[in-house]
Amino acid sequence: MDKAEQILKALGGAENIVEIEPCATRLRTEVHDSSKVDEKALKAAGAFGVISAGQVVQVVVGPEADTIATDIEDLM
Amino acid sequence: MTQLDVLSPVPGRVIELAEVPDPVFAQALVGPGLAVDPDRTGAVTAVAPVPGRLVKLHPHAFVVQTEDGAGVLTHLGIDTVQLEGAGFELHVAEGDTVAAGAAVVTWHPAAVESGGRSPVAPVIALEATAGQLTSLHAGGAVAAGEVLFVWNR
Repeated sequence: MDKAEQILKALGGAENIVEIEPCATRLRTEVHDSSKVDEKALKAAGAFGVISAGQVVQVVVGPEADTIATDIEDLM
Repeated sequence: MTQLDVLSPVPGRVIELAEVPDPVFAQALVGPGLAVDPDRTGAVTAVAPVPGRLVKLHPHAFVVQTEDGAGVLTHLGIDTVQLEGAGFELHVAEGDTVAAGAAVVTWHPAAVESGGRSPVAPVIALEATAGQLTSLHAGGAVAAGEVLFVWNR
């Protein structure tokens, strides 16, 4: 499983994603159900950190965020 | 070991990353570094902090990677991705090779601030450890192109 697949799975899968948007350092993700987000799995997938506030989950992946976001969108 | 001088991309006042109003930068999640609270003097041209290739170039943020693989991220303002490039004029293209101090993007810190966002510009040694950075001078004024810190690698 590549990084994009691992991150998507750890965010609760495509059906849990409302929106995913890359920034220079992170994926800004809005999810339907934040309890389905697995922070440990996100870190295991290579995230440097995860910052959650309500339904917005920021997955810090570094400058590859735009590439990973494109890969995730391709999987959805 | 090589010493890489990391230059300030913008003129302003040097602050600690912990003072940056964004948890990702304040907690140094993508790497250690410093930030510059830029002068609010109209248009400011941000320059490359190190020589190398522009491996990532957004209007509001860019990464220059040196020949031996050191990546330095410059992020112009906080949450400025939301501006979608408005007010940022690029002078180079992604993939270009630039000298340290070369003009990369012209922007307007005062306009970013009046739009309700912090214009603070973090400068990050990507995936470095805090112990690799020396000569960090938080608290003082810095000119664009002046050494901000040294990355020992």
